[in-house]
Amino acid sequence: MEQKQAKKNNFTLLLIMTMVFIVVTAIVGIIVFRIYIGNFRQTGDTKTYSRYYVMIVDDRKDSFWQAVYQGAYEAGQKENIYVELLGENLSRDYEKTDLMRIAIASDVDGIIVVADESDLMTELIDEAAAEGIPVVTLYSDNTKSKRCSYVGIGSYNLGREYGRQVLQIEESRKSRKESADGGSEDGTDGSPANTEESNDPLKVTVLVNAHAEDSLQNILCSGIQETIDMEKGDDTRIEMTLVSVDESNAFSVEESIRDIFMTSDIPDIIVCLNELTTTCAYQTVVDYNRVGQVDILGYYDSETILKAIERNVIYATVSIDTMQMGRSCVDAISEYHALGNTSQYFTADISLVNKKNVSGYLEGGDTNEK
Amino acid sequence: MKNKWSSLPLQGKISVIYIYANVMILIVNIILLMGINSMTKEIDKVYQGNLHLNEVSEALSGVQDSMTSYLSVKTTDSLENYYRNEQIYREMVQELNGKVTGAGFDRMERNIQNMSERYLEAVNQTVEAKRGRNVEKYRVRYENATQLYQYISTYINSLNNEQFKHNTENYTELSETFKYFEFVSILIMFFVIIGNVGLIIKLAGDIVSPLKHLAGQADEVAKGNFEIELSEVGTQDEIGIVTGAFNQMVTSIRKYIETIRQSMEVERALKEKELMMEAHLKDAQLKYLQAQINPHFLFNTLNAGAQLAMMEGADRTYQYVQNMAEFFRYNVKKGEETVSISEEIELVDNYIYILNVRFSGDIHFEKKIDETLLHVPMPSMILQPIVENCVNHGIREMAGEGKIVLSVYRIDDVACISIKDNGVGMSEETIRKVLSGTYREEEMAAGSNGIGMDNVIGRLKLFTESEDVMTIVSEGENKGTEVIIYLQIKEREEEDV
Repeated sequence: MEQKQAKKNNFTLLLIMTMVFIVVTAIVGIIVFRIYIGNFRQTGDTKTYSRYYVMIVDDRKDSFWQAVYQGAYEAGQKENIYVELLGENLSRDYEKTDLMRIAIASDVDGIIVVADESDLMTELIDEAAAEGIPVVTLYSDNTKSKRCSYVGIGSYNLGREYGRQVLQIEESRKSRKESADGGSEDGTDGSPANTEESNDPLKVTVLVNAHAEDSLQNILCSGIQETIDMEKGDDTRIEMTLVSVDESNAFSVEESIRDIFMTSDIPDIIVCLNELTTTCAYQTVVDYNRVGQVDILGYYDSETILKAIERNVIYATVSIDTMQMGRSCVDAISEYHALGNTSQYFTADISLVNKKNVSGYLEGGDTNEK
Repeated sequence: MKNKWSSLPLQGKISVIYIYANVMILIVNIILLMGINSMTKEIDKVYQGNLHLNEVSEALSGVQDSMTSYLSVKTTDSLENYYRNEQIYREMVQELNGKVTGAGFDRMERNIQNMSERYLEAVNQTVEAKRGRNVEKYRVRYENATQLYQYISTYINSLNNEQFKHNTENYTELSETFKYFEFVSILIMFFVIIGNVGLIIKLAGDIVSPLKHLAGQADEVAKGNFEIELSEVGTQDEIGIVTGAFNQMVTSIRKYIETIRQSMEVERALKEKELMMEAHLKDAQLKYLQAQINPHFLFNTLNAGAQLAMMEGADRTYQYVQNMAEFFRYNVKKGEETVSISEEIELVDNYIYILNVRFSGDIHFEKKIDETLLHVPMPSMILQPIVENCVNHGIREMAGEGKIVLSVYRIDDVACISIKDNGVGMSEETIRKVLSGTYREEEMAAGSNGIGMDNVIGRLKLFTESEDVMTIVSEGENKGTEVIIYLQIKEREEEDV
């Protein structure tokens, strides 16, 4: 009888378990499904931001601009502002002016633009200002416009730094030559070398943007020139030339730089004023087998450039605090929104990178990239 | 519930199991189908955004085209067209997301919305200027509007593109999920089916197991073993009924067998008794035949001797021979019959007379008889052998005058016949041996008619169907012996009646 009872109980248990299994499966299935679909719908950041700034730059893929944007983006995140690199997702590649028009038409809360001194840009900036959109010019200014602030680097200081590097290169070359001469002529007087040196001046070529109408390049160049003039020794002859690089279209930079090497008059030092020209110059020197003969003073500390310094192809480069730059842009606009005006001028810190400290930047750069 | 279940008929039970299993599978299927359905809906949704954007794009083109058309031909139709398209586009744009979020799509939608407002404004101004025939103004405004139109188009296209890219990823992911879901569904179905099969096997087993048990029992019964443990009637279905009927049948058969066995035993006992009686009788007869080789002849010759003695006037001789003849005739005549006590007493009288003649009258025979008991039936040849034993073993071996007292009296409904002598008596052991029939004396002693005490006791027992037929009392050496026979009166009388 007890056995029978137990049997009956077992049977009931089995019945209940089947029911429970089905119900649990159904419920769990539905819940998992809902959660899954829910997650699925909410891909990406759905956080709503109170303000919307756009950043308009020349070359969005350039790691320099990427780094600046990153700085701005992070600064914006802290203040519940979304900073967008405008044009990134568009199917057409618009000019900066078009992007400016789009930004104005889209009624954004702030525009960060890599401006130039063109009238069109002035007009657009003024239009934006008239619409109540604060505009911050980044890196290159439009002084005539009603931009609320400029964030850039001290071009004159940068020029002076380049000048000092030119002199250093000159110094090291001279000592190298002397030791080489001393070695070959068995301790004879250095005067013939000196005369030879004086006959053959050190040629410095500064690559400038052909279409840039801004004064930054000029300030920078004069910085180099003044430094050289003031600090060079009497017996030093340095010849500085400006070579225009056509940056108007995508591949012209590389072609322009190669053109320099096609001539017989190959410079001893090439000073590059942006990341792209630095990378191109570096590649060209390697291609034309001029490593050691041509020293490059670069711009920006991308990984490629840092590695080139490590390999002795690029003599030195300047590292710009891009994060600070980006942050300054956002801060400037936010300040303008809050107070109605802001500081006209923000500068980003620069520092020199050469063979001595490149390893630190390489490591740091790695972590930054990560 | 259990009661309901057990009271269900077999068909009902099988139907319930079948329906249960099917309903389970149906439920699971419905759940899975619902899952698949909502999944398909999700997949459908993936491209809905693209479809909507295409519509927006078309509406935008509609506005631009109708404006251009109005500007070039300035018909009422084109103006109406323009207003209609503008309305459609405005509504569509209103539906777009206007918030700035981390998602690129949302920001693009916001920009489209803002630019569209500006665009519509510009278009409106253009149309107004055209209506106002302000050629200079409407050209500029037209260009302005067209530029915005191009930006918006690019934005819509880009958004569409981006969404498509994103959706394609989603789609891939969804279809992978779908596969996973399929697999899980199959797994669940599999489990449910296993559970169901288990349940069906269990339930079917439960239903059939009493039937199996019953079959086993029936098989046992068919082999002839009725000593089976009857199974309990657990359910009220057909099987329960059959089990109940089977149990009833087995019980009845057992009862019948028991009855038959009992009656057979009675019959057997009767037969045995009969046979034993016959055997004893045969034994007695044989002994008589041995002893009285030809009683008829003897008794006829004795009769002739008596006639002769009477003719010669020898009365005593006549008397003697006559008695002898009577004695023998009794033996011949009553050998196998039931007789009355009086007849038996008569035989004893004859016997005593003969002995007294033979032994010159030294046995005193005394009778104390209750006359009402004389007709009581008893087996023949009982008293004479007892008296013979008294004479042979009791009186003959003693000195002095032998005495035998025969009394017939009644105790309740028992007739008692007592034969008492004053002879040597019997030891307790001898009495026990005689009563149990183990005493084997040197029979066939001179003068004995050959019927032993065991025969007498055996026949009495058979006759009265009782063990308590005789007692032998002896008070010790030389104090005589008393043999008492008990006969049931009532039964005899009833039988007589």
